[in-house]
Amino acid sequence: MTTPETPGATEPTSVWQRLHTGTGAFDIVGNRKRFYAMFALLIAVCAGTMGIKGFNFGIDFVGGTKIQMPAVGAQGPITTDQVEDAYQDALGRGPETVQLVGAGDSETIQIRTESLNTQDVNVLKEGLFDSLQPVGANGQPTPQAISDSAVSGTWGGEITQQAVLALVVFLVLVTVFLAFYFERWMAVAALVALLHDIVVTMGVYAILGFEVTPATVIGLLTILGFSLYDTVVVFDKVKENTRGILGLTRRTYSEAANLAVNQTLMRSINTSIVALLPVLGLLVVGSGLLGVGVLRDLALVQLTGMLAGVVSSVLLATPLLVDFKMRDPKYRAQEAKVQQRRRRRAAQEAGEELPEEEEISVRDASKDTVSARREREMAAASSPAARTGKGPESRPQGKSGRPTGKKRR
Amino acid sequence: MASPDGHISPRRYLSIFALIVAALYSLVFFTGDGSLAPKLGIDLQGGTRVTLTARTTDGQPPSNEQLTQARNIIETRVNGMGVQGSEVTQDGSNLVITVPGEGGEEAKQLGQTAQLNFRKVVPNMTMPANPGAQPGQAPGPGQQQPPAPGQPAPSGQGPAGTAPQDARTQQDDSGDQSREDAQRQQAIAQAKQTRQSTDPATQMQALTQLDCNAEDPLRGNDDPSLPLVTCGQDKQEKFVLEPVFLEGREIANASAQPPNQQSGQSGWSVNLEFKSGGASTWADFTSANVNQRAAFVLDSQVVSAPNINEPLLGGNANITGQFNQQSATQLADVLKYGSLPLAFDQSEAETVSASLGLASMEAGLIAGGIGLLLVAVYCLFYYRMLGILTILSLILSGAIVYGVLILLGRWIGFTLDLAGIAGFIIAIGITADSFIIFFERLKDEIREGRTFRSSVPRAWVRSRRTILSADAVSFLAAAVLYVLAVGQVKGFAFTLGMSTVLDLIVVFLVTHPLVVLASKNKFLSKPSVTGLGAVQRMGAEQRAARKRSASTAKEA
Repeated sequence: MTTPETPGATEPTSVWQRLHTGTGAFDIVGNRKRFYAMFALLIAVCAGTMGIKGFNFGIDFVGGTKIQMPAVGAQGPITTDQVEDAYQDALGRGPETVQLVGAGDSETIQIRTESLNTQDVNVLKEGLFDSLQPVGANGQPTPQAISDSAVSGTWGGEITQQAVLALVVFLVLVTVFLAFYFERWMAVAALVALLHDIVVTMGVYAILGFEVTPATVIGLLTILGFSLYDTVVVFDKVKENTRGILGLTRRTYSEAANLAVNQTLMRSINTSIVALLPVLGLLVVGSGLLGVGVLRDLALVQLTGMLAGVVSSVLLATPLLVDFKMRDPKYRAQEAKVQQRRRRRAAQEAGEELPEEEEISVRDASKDTVSARREREMAAASSPAARTGKGPESRPQGKSGRPTGKKRR
Repeated sequence: MASPDGHISPRRYLSIFALIVAALYSLVFFTGDGSLAPKLGIDLQGGTRVTLTARTTDGQPPSNEQLTQARNIIETRVNGMGVQGSEVTQDGSNLVITVPGEGGEEAKQLGQTAQLNFRKVVPNMTMPANPGAQPGQAPGPGQQQPPAPGQPAPSGQGPAGTAPQDARTQQDDSGDQSREDAQRQQAIAQAKQTRQSTDPATQMQALTQLDCNAEDPLRGNDDPSLPLVTCGQDKQEKFVLEPVFLEGREIANASAQPPNQQSGQSGWSVNLEFKSGGASTWADFTSANVNQRAAFVLDSQVVSAPNINEPLLGGNANITGQFNQQSATQLADVLKYGSLPLAFDQSEAETVSASLGLASMEAGLIAGGIGLLLVAVYCLFYYRMLGILTILSLILSGAIVYGVLILLGRWIGFTLDLAGIAGFIIAIGITADSFIIFFERLKDEIREGRTFRSSVPRAWVRSRRTILSADAVSFLAAAVLYVLAVGQVKGFAFTLGMSTVLDLIVVFLVTHPLVVLASKNKFLSKPSVTGLGAVQRMGAEQRAARKRSASTAKEA
């Protein structure tokens, strides 16, 4: 990437290398309108589906009984039809669903029904054992090989209630934390990104009809931690890059923010990959080996949420932050000064006489969107950071090189 | 931890870490039973877990005292099952019964309030429990009375215990159960044969042979449709009882009545109110059995057997006897709730077979292993030498996590369940991420033209802050979950939070010092080894460019 600071480096760079070295030059902040539209659409779809289709709540929420047993009996593999027959014989009515889950030795049969009382469960287990002879861990048929779990509907309600409470408390604490740790607008942007993650993750569940279990709800809460964590890292860099930016005319706030996103992009990607790899392992093993259960539920929600989290922290949080910041006249004035300096410098390089100093108003700057110059500005902004205000040699020397607006604030 | 400029003496930090690990593992090996296995939840080792939620009549949260009392009662019942390692824990207003291994089916009955039934005492078939005991002390030959005026209105809440308890299916297949269990089942069957016989001769024989001081295997297991030979709760009197004519669930309310001089009542009594169905049964029974005795049978034991002086038609019954305030209140509670001070709903009941537990355990370990492996491969590919440091740090982190896990299992009874394993697996990512923050900062510094060696302290100072704040957020999420959430969530939150804290220890005491050591080593800091070549080239260009721009600026 050719930048004004590195005129010698003209070799073409691949996307990979741009990512790896962090020079980036991905114009994320500049394209924010497009991202906003994308996010708005996504959220609309998610919220709409949630409203119309609703969720597929697991038995923990609606209450019910689940019976699980090995899919191998003394007379060979057990089929779901056999199970349904045995169920019918034992209780005189049919189960809701019978399915075969998992693989290999861990293959099991799962029966889901409405809530059964203890007596019915015992009768059912007995009946299943008598007719199917499921084989236990020691290779012998045993009634102990049959697992069961019964959940009352109110319990799920309690879990949900506690989870919502935890969510609210967490959001409050996090807001306080962010308000102290970051500036106000950073906290707001981080929270918006967080809400996006919640909505999108829930939306994906609604759209795909995945079963919502208490483990899913837990998972959702931990994603929030992860999502914020990611945003915290990006904003940390933004904060560093924009330190004292109002006194400088090197780059605008949005360019500095974009640079920060680019510099942390590889980290965001790496983090996500590293965090997602174990989750993927969990998902594959959880659903492949065990079929359904806590492992799969947790992994699925984490996978969805982490993806949403990393996308939002890169493409949503920082652009939002820039827009919030740009509402402040001080930042718009600074932007105008940066533009002015660049114009002057361009003119200077072209060997033209400098026009008499003109006061640039904020409105002028907003009009100043010639595409050719934008290109160049982008390139300048995405060049690797020379630490702001560090060495004297990194800044143009002499009177002519000094930006005009520097001392004025 | 590190000095402000980021220069540290790596060996000191590493030795602090070594000390911590040594201390941790000497605790593991030399305290407790020295076993190297963490405590496993029943979803990993097989067993039964029952979650009971307290239900109060007025919707108010139950008092801690009530919960503790209930916990003690249930604990006694659990211990009565004779399965090793069973326990009852209190989690908010829930009681969680865990029975590891097989044979825990019974635990599902334990939370039910005790079974209360009304049986008619067979006349002339009672005898004192001990030959030496004075018959005068036999309980409950009280007289009943019309309902006292000014009685509080029935609350409408019936006692819990909706499932009939007579069907104990464990008697059928005891082949795979422990000997003790088999013996127990046999004892119950035998007791049923003699003590629930319909033959008067067998009843009489059972009555004489019955020892009220011995443990009653039939307790709570009697068949309501058959007669019963049993003892009084105070072990003073033995009875032959007819089949159950009225079940305790027909009681709407029970309360203790203070002495009432006006009605000539000198002691405390217990007032019962029946539901409508129960009231008519009670009225019919008392009408038909004047001058007979009715027995209040709780868990197969007679609590009180008052004499019926006249038909009771008002849907109320008053039990008098030698009560004081405490015993009257206690009996009222027993009648209202069974013998627990609170009614409990069975929120969750789970029996996991040992083979399913084993499969879950394996799945968890495999998932963890795959996760670690994938992360390791990726780190090696991306960070090369730094990747090795990451892996090393992850392994050390795993070592202290495991040690802490064993100790927590011993000290606070922390059990590792499937959700907890998931917490650890997810924490692998969070742990590895701290390294990534640091390494990416390192790259930033090198990109700006610094050498590997000089970059390390600068990168550390800058990334330390980010790591701390990011971990703080993670920990916050875990802590909130742990404090507020119920059920399996706790295990997940706990392991996640713990991993976050241990991650900080490893990053500060191991990863950073190791990187410092590597940066001082000529071979290890070669670009081809660190995998930072591309960045370093960029850094060189950056340096050159800066020089150039500086000189052009000067020329201008």
